[in-house]
Amino acid sequence: MQLGFLVDLHLCMGCKGCEIACKVENEVPLSTWRLRVKYVDVGTFPETKRTFTPLRCNHCENAPCERICPVSALHYLDNGIVNIDKERCIGCAGCVMACPYGAIYIDPQTQTADKCTYCAHRVASSMMPACVVACPVQANIFGDLDDPTSNISKYIQVNQSNVQVRKPEKGTNPHHFYVGGGNVNLNPLASHRGEGHNLFGEIKNLPVGGHH
Amino acid sequence: MAHEILAATNAVVTLDVALPGIVWPWLVTVNMWAKSIGTGVIFMLFMLLRMHPESAKNLRLPTAIVAFVFINIFLIFTLADLHQPFRMWHIFVYSNFTSAIAVGSFMASGFLGLLTLLVFLAWKKKDETYDKVLLWTTILAIPVTLYTAALMAQCTAREIWQMPTESAQMILAALLSGSAVMILVGGNKLSYEAKKTLGVVLGLSAFMAFTIYMSEYIFGPMKAEEVAAVMDYIKGDGPYTVMFWLGQWIAYLLPMVFILLSRSSKSESILKLAAIFALVGLAIVKHVWLIIPQLLPMS
Repeated sequence: MQLGFLVDLHLCMGCKGCEIACKVENEVPLSTWRLRVKYVDVGTFPETKRTFTPLRCNHCENAPCERICPVSALHYLDNGIVNIDKERCIGCAGCVMACPYGAIYIDPQTQTADKCTYCAHRVASSMMPACVVACPVQANIFGDLDDPTSNISKYIQVNQSNVQVRKPEKGTNPHHFYVGGGNVNLNPLASHRGEGHNLFGEIKNLPVGGHH
Repeated sequence: MAHEILAATNAVVTLDVALPGIVWPWLVTVNMWAKSIGTGVIFMLFMLLRMHPESAKNLRLPTAIVAFVFINIFLIFTLADLHQPFRMWHIFVYSNFTSAIAVGSFMASGFLGLLTLLVFLAWKKKDETYDKVLLWTTILAIPVTLYTAALMAQCTAREIWQMPTESAQMILAALLSGSAVMILVGGNKLSYEAKKTLGVVLGLSAFMAFTIYMSEYIFGPMKAEEVAAVMDYIKGDGPYTVMFWLGQWIAYLLPMVFILLSRSSKSESILKLAAIFALVGLAIVKHVWLIIPQLLPMS
């Protein structure tokens, strides 16, 4: 079994329900996110469009974070999830530096690395990840990539020409796919990022782990 | 920063979380700088004992002490940078040997053990045994100084840190700082000829390191968009442009000029000035190269 995620960006309406559900389910501290929805505005007025892109750990098959972690705090589960053992983590932040998706952060409460685990604790109890349950339009599709009859496999088959991953050139083989994404959604270098366009307005950078 | 923006799309991020701050801060700069000195002086002593044995024989104890001190500085700053420093022992108990951090920790610990032995042997004036241990210490110093390059290369997100380049830069940094410290530590114990040899090492390593940086500066952006985006931080009115060029001048260009001047005028004072500049500049260069890829948004 190799669990994977697919987000249909045609369906996502940027309600941030997934973001909140994740926060609540995993008790993610203030100023940190396991999952977030990025808004990118495209076009020139009046021909403009707002795009929404949920961003989370890609659970790469060839995960740089797992490779660089000196104590195997980041490790693979049998179902392909890249999990984290916070009790083992020494907080070297090597994983934060290695992840090309910016999906890992230092938890300011535990001072250890943390990230999306596809809600491994829920999956172990045969439940769907919290973000999947919260999505009102079923834009998040979660399932077994090894099973050709799973919803995610069928979705990939149907949308073959329109399935993308982020930064494929990094060779990480993400288990997280997007349908309906464009360069502006998936490539951070394809959009302007003006100061102040974040949840806290004037704050440009957040302290890593609450210090340094 | 935004290299792929098209006028047709005019894409602007209008809502996102704030970018994370600097993950590996100045503590890591000190780490790399101190390790370069700690390994570099060992390389230099090994060389001097072969090329200028009479002059270098009195440097066995001072060199071992300097290396011991700087490797401890390197280890202390490594520890200080951990968010959970009291769990450092996990590295040795739950080791993941695909990680350069884990492999490097074992090698650095072994290196520190050998340095401690060298200090002891020099103190006891057991020169023959010292020289035998120095051979193995010098051999181990090579991977110890290189492992940070491997660690940087494992940072998949930071495109400018490429392994072949960084490994060359790490060795050159060790040669540069090692020769600089030996010029300063040598004092009256080293002959002028030995100092001239150290000056050649300093000058050549400065020249090669500068050449590599300039090659990356000019040609790196032609290979990868992320490199191009990162280079923007040290080009034009980028936030680290001044610091980058300050580092290049202080670490490499001025020491090269000073070395030439010292040779033509046979001045040891100018040689010492070159050494001081190289040591200060190296810290600046390392810091800029450490910080700039961390400024790039990852998502």
